[in-house]
Amino acid sequence: VGSATTRWRMAAACALIALAAPACAPRAAEKAATPLAVMLPPSERPFWDPIARRFEETHPGVRVDLVEGPQSTDLRENLYTASLLARDPTFDLVYMDVTWTAKFAAAGWLLPLDGSLTPEELARFLPAALSAGEFEGRLYRVPVRTDVGLLYYRRDLLEAAGLRPPETFEELRRDAAALQSPPGAWGFVWQGKQYEGLVCDYLEVLRGHGGYWVDPKTLSVGLDRPEALAALAFLVRCIRPDPISPPGVTTYQEEESRRLFQDGRAVFLRNWPYAWRLAQSEDSPIRGRVGVLAMVHEPGARSAGTLGGWGLGISRYSRHPDLAMEFIRAATTLEAQRVLCAPTGYAPARMEAYRDTALLSANPFLRELERLHAYAVPRPVIARYALASDILQRHLSAALAGSDVPEHALREAARETRAMVGGSRTAPAAAEARP
Amino acid sequence: MSTRAWTRERMLLLAPGLLLLAAVVAVPIARVVELSFTRVVLDRAILIRWAGLDQFARLWQDGRWWGALRNTAVFTGSSVALEMVVGVAFALLLHRRFGGRGAVRALAMLPWALPTAVMAMAWAWIFNDSFGVLNDLLTRLGLLHGPVAWLGVPALAMLAMVVADVWKTAPFVMLIVLAGLQGIPEHVLEAAEVDGLSPWSRLRRVVLPLLAPSLLVALAFRCVQAYGAFDLPYVMTGGGPGGATETVSLYAYQNYFRYLDFGYGSAIAVQGVALVGLLVAAVMFLARRGGRDHA
Repeated sequence: VGSATTRWRMAAACALIALAAPACAPRAAEKAATPLAVMLPPSERPFWDPIARRFEETHPGVRVDLVEGPQSTDLRENLYTASLLARDPTFDLVYMDVTWTAKFAAAGWLLPLDGSLTPEELARFLPAALSAGEFEGRLYRVPVRTDVGLLYYRRDLLEAAGLRPPETFEELRRDAAALQSPPGAWGFVWQGKQYEGLVCDYLEVLRGHGGYWVDPKTLSVGLDRPEALAALAFLVRCIRPDPISPPGVTTYQEEESRRLFQDGRAVFLRNWPYAWRLAQSEDSPIRGRVGVLAMVHEPGARSAGTLGGWGLGISRYSRHPDLAMEFIRAATTLEAQRVLCAPTGYAPARMEAYRDTALLSANPFLRELERLHAYAVPRPVIARYALASDILQRHLSAALAGSDVPEHALREAARETRAMVGGSRTAPAAAEARP
Repeated sequence: MSTRAWTRERMLLLAPGLLLLAAVVAVPIARVVELSFTRVVLDRAILIRWAGLDQFARLWQDGRWWGALRNTAVFTGSSVALEMVVGVAFALLLHRRFGGRGAVRALAMLPWALPTAVMAMAWAWIFNDSFGVLNDLLTRLGLLHGPVAWLGVPALAMLAMVVADVWKTAPFVMLIVLAGLQGIPEHVLEAAEVDGLSPWSRLRRVVLPLLAPSLLVALAFRCVQAYGAFDLPYVMTGGGPGGATETVSLYAYQNYFRYLDFGYGSAIAVQGVALVGLLVAAVMFLARRGGRDHA
């Protein structure tokens, strides 16, 4: 009796498994349309929808899946990394931050795109935004929208005091000190937390002092040169001994600093273009009282704004790379730039968009942005950029927090960066110093 | 049915479960150990090369890893010690009978039920220098003159992280100890009271020794969890300022996902597992010996 029961149990178990298996397989009906997938931040999804629907209209039998990823850039990078590591064909397109290009290309996860676009097509993009998508001389990412670091100031306060907008670091310091009344209102707020934003801020001050981080051609590291020290000394002097920045600036990201500025509690703010739209919103206490500049510079050096922005690349594991290329083309037409940038205030990557009447009437700030993009500088395009950035972040943060002296911090950062650059086989190709 | 047939049937029925465990636990662990003996070369492809013990040798010369290890040790030591004290105190309090005890117990458990990332974000705002509740409170009480950037000073950032962790996980210790307390028979305590032991001696000589197994479980769990702390520093401080709150897990993660340095990330993970294994074994050994001495 026992063994009969056993056999019966076994048969039942097998039947269950056999019944369950087809339920796990993808249903045939969904396979009808060719899917094309990309992961985006949820905040951008509504503005990409019309672009995707339009593409579906012009390409019958294609379905564009706009997958909402996490809002945080780091988390989306991780999701893409995990998916590409597993050679997963889920995402045909990669919606990429500027700093991902080198890493993803060096890992062999992206298809080169330069062969698919004509020189005329390429010439329509902002040169800085385009070169940020290059790695070792080939293009892996087509820019869609760009970002550039800016210096916001309270025009009303400066005018009332009879001051002209500052041009040098010393003038910025002086004006900030003259117009602040801490702890209620501070002179200058920026991003001093140990994270990518700190590197962006420092790069602007560094270039404004005539220094460099990693020279792309010679692989020389400039972090222990006098200009680099002067740049860090400026940031440290913002905090002590005569502060123009709140002590908490060493914990701020973009939003903490922007809130202070928007509450009317800061005279100068270093931030990205998004802060403009918020400063001009209906309920903003500083509406109409804000001016914008490129980051100041030392006499004889040039202003610099760190280049950011987003673009599209094609996954090596995509099953429809040609279709994906079609989508990139469709997503970067002037019409698509209008659809994406008019309601959001994003800065378009195509040059002609800055002269487009439809876009300019939706966002007059583009006129300023076009001018300010001339100061854009890319971060070094090297495969292990994340490590280079972390090395710099840690030592800058230690100096700002006062747990290390600037000379020592930068000497260590330079030593570690040299060891890293020397130790990696892939040499940087695109230029940090490229005009 | 014969014993052998029984065994065969049992093995057969266990097989899917064992296979599943092997697939989701054993294989990944083996893969991490394997990767820890390799190095990654990025050359338009991810090339994995045998590296022997190089990655472990790299650990010894890596100041950042030593720093992360020190931070992890400080964090684990101080947060677990505080959690044990606070958790036991709360458990003793909530073991007593009083009106609304159920509601208070549920309330005390709330921090444990919150996702760490959410509560870490909330604590980061509490410790914010300009908008933070803490600075506002301390200033109103006249204890502070001018805002303190809690997360901007290395020692204070670590303190802030410990406070957040104790707030979140003391309820876990409380829960385990509360369960242990309910296992202590009333008559033992009554006997101690009749024998004239003061409340303090009752706690020290009767309750705590009887609680030893629960305390041990809580201690071991918390040591492992605190050693692996990742989400709290990731959200609250990002490992800063100046790397002062970077834990070993955070560093391993950076190597994996941000630097694509799987060999080194795996070496850090393997080394970490070995170390935490030793730590838990030491805690268990010392506690057992301590328990025997008591008895």
